[in-house]
Amino acid sequence: MMTALTSPYLWYTTRATGMVALVLFTLVVTLGTFVANRVGGSIVGRFELNELHRSVSMVAVVFLALHVITTVVDSFVATGWISIIVPFTSSYKRLAVAIGAIAFDLILAVWVSSLLKVRIKNASWRFIHWFSWLAFASALAHGFLTGTDGHHGAGLALVAACALVVALAAIWRYVGRPTRAAGRTALSPLVAAPLPERPARPSRRLAPPDAPRPVPSARGGARPSAPAPRDSPSTASSPFPRSPFKTPKPGGRR
Amino acid sequence: MGVVRRRSGGFVLKVNPILCDGYGHCHELAPELVNVDEWGYPIIKTAITPLSDLATLESARYAVRGCPRQALRVERLSDDPGPTRR
Repeated sequence: MMTALTSPYLWYTTRATGMVALVLFTLVVTLGTFVANRVGGSIVGRFELNELHRSVSMVAVVFLALHVITTVVDSFVATGWISIIVPFTSSYKRLAVAIGAIAFDLILAVWVSSLLKVRIKNASWRFIHWFSWLAFASALAHGFLTGTDGHHGAGLALVAACALVVALAAIWRYVGRPTRAAGRTALSPLVAAPLPERPARPSRRLAPPDAPRPVPSARGGARPSAPAPRDSPSTASSPFPRSPFKTPKPGGRR
Repeated sequence: MGVVRRRSGGFVLKVNPILCDGYGHCHELAPELVNVDEWGYPIIKTAITPLSDLATLESARYAVRGCPRQALRVERLSDDPGPTRR
């Protein structure tokens, strides 16, 4: 049992890691909206934004763990181990710490469900992942209500900026949400590639299962503004037409 | 686990079209295996790729891991019949 371990540096660490975690979770939520709204494809890859979302969330969880552990270990504020998980058990700023505990529980649920993503149903994962919005709102309220730094000056400006960024991200998540035909939304780089003049879609007649799939390979020639084919080793032997994406392959990232 | 098999046979990348939401990550991660149609949904190469093509296998695994909907899987097909099959 840790008793009477106190140091101003523990308290400073608590405050600093809390602020950093708030900024990182702002970044994570914003990147998550980027992934969900299909940002990327030309300048930055969509998969790169997805990887960034996953990686930054791991860093944010580390800072959150530091924030929580230093709070409990420091005896300057009377907060027990149980208060990490169970709300309304802290004698220090009961409401603010309770909201922080709720945020921590929600973040834990989102994090664990994402680690188990291959094992659980995708619908379950999505349902849990929606709670990240509530988790961020609770974390923001926790940061403001605790108020050591969040009530004045630069700390208040930081909290307000995080709130503004995520509020805009939430609005845009709704307004700019992809339609079912995701590839041709305004966010897609495929919009830039003009559709060929063709009378109709390929007919849907049943083909024998061994017949080649109706790959739209005839379009490359039918497109008048198609760029000159740059011969790269990966596309030269490919049976597919040139992709509208800029692909970094081969080599490079590996 | 841990059994190193002879690299015979091949694999195909398979998509579950019900789970797929057309994110397009698979096309970016494995452009040699996945093309996208005009709505952003994948058209996957149906020909079997040999397992000895390690670079393609690796990008197929990247595509499986990077799919936001977990809709992809690598399906192995061995060309030699196993000991139980005659």
